Amino acid sequence: MSTIIVQAVVSGIVTGCIYALVALSLVIIFKTTDVVNFGGGEFVMVGSFLALFALVYLGVGYALALLLAAVAMFALGVTFDAVTMNRIGGRLYTRQTELVPTIVATIGLSYLLKGIVRVVPYTEEPRRIPPLFNAPPIFVGDVVIQAQDVVIVVATTLIMIGLWAFFRFTMAGRALRAISQNARAACLSGMPVRTLRMVVWGLSAGIAAVAGVLFAPKLLITPDSGTLVMFAFAAAIVGGFTSLPGCVVGGIVLGVTQNLVGVLIAPQAISVTPFFIIMVVLLLRPQGLFGDAIALKKV
Amino acid sequence: MKALATIAGRRAVAAALLGFATLLPLGAQAADPGITDNEITIGLFGPLSGPLIAYGIDPLNAAKMLYEDVNARGGIHGRKVKLVIEDDKCTPNDLVAVVKKLTTVDKVFILHGGSCTAAVAAAQEFVGREKMPMMMLNAAGDNAVFPPQRYIFGSFQGTQRTYASSLTEFAQKQLKAKRIAVIVHDDDYGRANLATARAVAESLGMQVVAAERIPPNITDVTAPMLNIRAAKPDVILSGAYPAPAVLIAQKYGEYGMTDIPLLQAAQGIPTPSVFAKNVGNDAVLKNFYHTWAFNDIGDPALKEKWSAMYKKANPGREPGPFMISGAPSALATIAALEKAGRNVTRESFVAAMESLDIKPEIMAGPIKFGPDRRDGLRHMLVIKYDGKTQKAMPGVYSWDGKSGM
Repeated sequence: MSTIIVQAVVSGIVTGCIYALVALSLVIIFKTTDVVNFGGGEFVMVGSFLALFALVYLGVGYALALLLAAVAMFALGVTFDAVTMNRIGGRLYTRQTELVPTIVATIGLSYLLKGIVRVVPYTEEPRRIPPLFNAPPIFVGDVVIQAQDVVIVVATTLIMIGLWAFFRFTMAGRALRAISQNARAACLSGMPVRTLRMVVWGLSAGIAAVAGVLFAPKLLITPDSGTLVMFAFAAAIVGGFTSLPGCVVGGIVLGVTQNLVGVLIAPQAISVTPFFIIMVVLLLRPQGLFGDAIALKKV
Repeated sequence: MKALATIAGRRAVAAALLGFATLLPLGAQAADPGITDNEITIGLFGPLSGPLIAYGIDPLNAAKMLYEDVNARGGIHGRKVKLVIEDDKCTPNDLVAVVKKLTTVDKVFILHGGSCTAAVAAAQEFVGREKMPMMMLNAAGDNAVFPPQRYIFGSFQGTQRTYASSLTEFAQKQLKAKRIAVIVHDDDYGRANLATARAVAESLGMQVVAAERIPPNITDVTAPMLNIRAAKPDVILSGAYPAPAVLIAQKYGEYGMTDIPLLQAAQGIPTPSVFAKNVGNDAVLKNFYHTWAFNDIGDPALKEKWSAMYKKANPGREPGPFMISGAPSALATIAALEKAGRNVTRESFVAAMESLDIKPEIMAGPIKFGPDRRDGLRHMLVIKYDGKTQKAMPGVYSWDGKSGM
C-alpha cells in the first residue's frame, strides 16, 4: 500500500505542477490588472496545438516548436489586450478595472479560440505531442517517474522563480506591481500602463503555451482542453490568487489530494475534490495559503 | 309502397354518405406526410459541423450512398427516396430543432439521423408525440434505446451493454480470465457497462476484482490504475472515451502492466492509428484488444468493396474510420420500407421495423428488433490491435438482452 501512496503522491506532484503553470499565467494577469482571465485555458489549448502543428507541418525541432508557440501566443495575448481590454476600459483602463465587461470579454475570448480551433482539420480527435525527452523511466523502488515528469517539475519551478524575480527585481515588474496597487497614480507618475499591461497579457499567454506544450504529452490536446483552467483556478485560490509560490503549492496540493482521494476513497470523487478544497480554503483562509490579507484598495 | 321505396332510398343515400364520410378521413390518414405515388422523403441528419463532425460526415455520406443506390435500382416499390439533409451538430438543442423542422416544415415521412446518444435522447418526447419513426444514424448509447420508445430504433453498432458483455465473454472464452478489472466513466453509459460486465462475469464464473468509475474529464488516471494494478486482475476491461482511453493505455504501459490484456470498448478508439500515436509506444499495445461491430477488418475484400463504393459515390473523399457506421441504419430502413409494402404508412413502417431481422454481410451479427426491443445489434467482434495491424479474433460475442438490466 505504501508504494501505491508514494506513486500517487509523485504523480500528483507532476499533475499539480501542470495546474500550477496554468495558474501562474492567470495570477500574473490578476496581480497586475485585476482581471480574472476565463480564457486562460484556451491559451493553453491553442499554444499546444500551435506547437503540434509546428512539429508536424513545419518539421521543426521540439525546442523551436516550443519557442514558436510561446512567441505566437505572446503576440495573441498582446493583441487581445490591445484590441479588446484596452477598448473596453477606454480611458478608464488606467483606473480601476471594470469587473463585469472584462470577465465577459475573457469568456468571449475562450469561446472564440475554441470555435476557431474546432474548424481546423486534425483537431477532431485527441492529439498528443511527443515527450521532450524520450528517456526510459526512472525507478525508485517500485515507484515510476517518467523523464517528462521531471521536465515538468523543473520547468514549473524555474518559471515560478523567474516570474517572482521579474516582479521583485526588475523595473518593469515593480512598475506592474505599482500599477496593480493604483493604476491611475502609476499613470500620473509616467508609467506606460497600457504597454505594460499588454506585456503582461503577452507573458501570460506565452506561459500558457509552455504549459500546453509540457502537458500535451501527458494529458492530450483537444479543443476542449481549456477546461483544465478550472483546476488552475482551484490551485490559484488554494495558494492565494496574488501569490506566485502559492500557485505552485496550491497546484501540488490539488494534484496530490486528487490522487489520494482516488486511491483511498474512490476515483469518482476526483472531480469534486478541487471544489471541496476551494470551499474549505475559502471558509478557513479566504485569501488562500499564501495570499495577501484581504483589504480595500484605494482608487 | 312508393313511400317505403322513398324511405329505403333515403336510407341508402344516407348510408352511402355516412360511409363516404367515414372513409374520407381514413383515406386522409393513410397518406402520411412525406410520401407520394413516386417519392418517399426522408430527413437525414448528423453532425456536419462542430467538434463531433468526424462522427457525422462519412456515416451520413454512407447512408446517402445507399439511398442513391436504391434509387438507381428503381427505388422502393416504385418510389424514389428523396433526402432532406440537415446538420444537428450533435447537440441536444440543435438536434431537436432539426427534428422539429424536418417534421413540421419539410414534412418528411420518417427521420434518419443522430450520431450522439444524448442529443437523440433529447428528441424522444417530440418524436413520440408526433408518432414520427426515427432511425438513429450511428448513435449507439443505451439512453436512447432503454427503455424502448415506440418510434425510435437504433444502436446498430451495439450498446454499452453489448460492448461489456462481448468483452467479458471474450475474456473468459479466449483469454481464460478468472479475475477481471473494469474501468468505466461515472455516467449512465459507464454504469450500464459496469452492471453488464458484472452480471456476465458472474454468470461465467469470473470475479470482478476492481471496478473503477472515473470522471469523463479526468486528467490523471494514476489512482484508478494503481487500484487496478493492486487488484492483480487477469484482464482489464475499459469502457472509456477516446481521451481517457489513451491516458489509461499510457499508465498501463508506464506501470508495467502490459502482460495483462487490456480490452477496450470501441468508443474509446475511434481511429486506431491516432490512438496508437497518442499512446506513443506500440510495445504498450502488445496485449490490446477492442470491440468492433463490422466484418470489414476480418475481410479485406469486403472492406475494399465498401471503400470503393464510397469513393465512387463521393469522388475525391477518402472514407474515414466511421464511414461504415452509417450503413446499417440505412440498410435497415430500406429493408423495412420494402417489407412494409407499397401502402406503407408510418405505423406500418414501425411494425415492419419491429419484425425486422436481417444480416447484412458487413455486420458482425443480425440487426433485429422486436415489440420491446429497440437496440439493433447485440453481437460484436473482438479485434487485436498492436499499433500497426488489426486482426479479428475468432468468434462472435454477444449480449443476451438481460444481463445488467
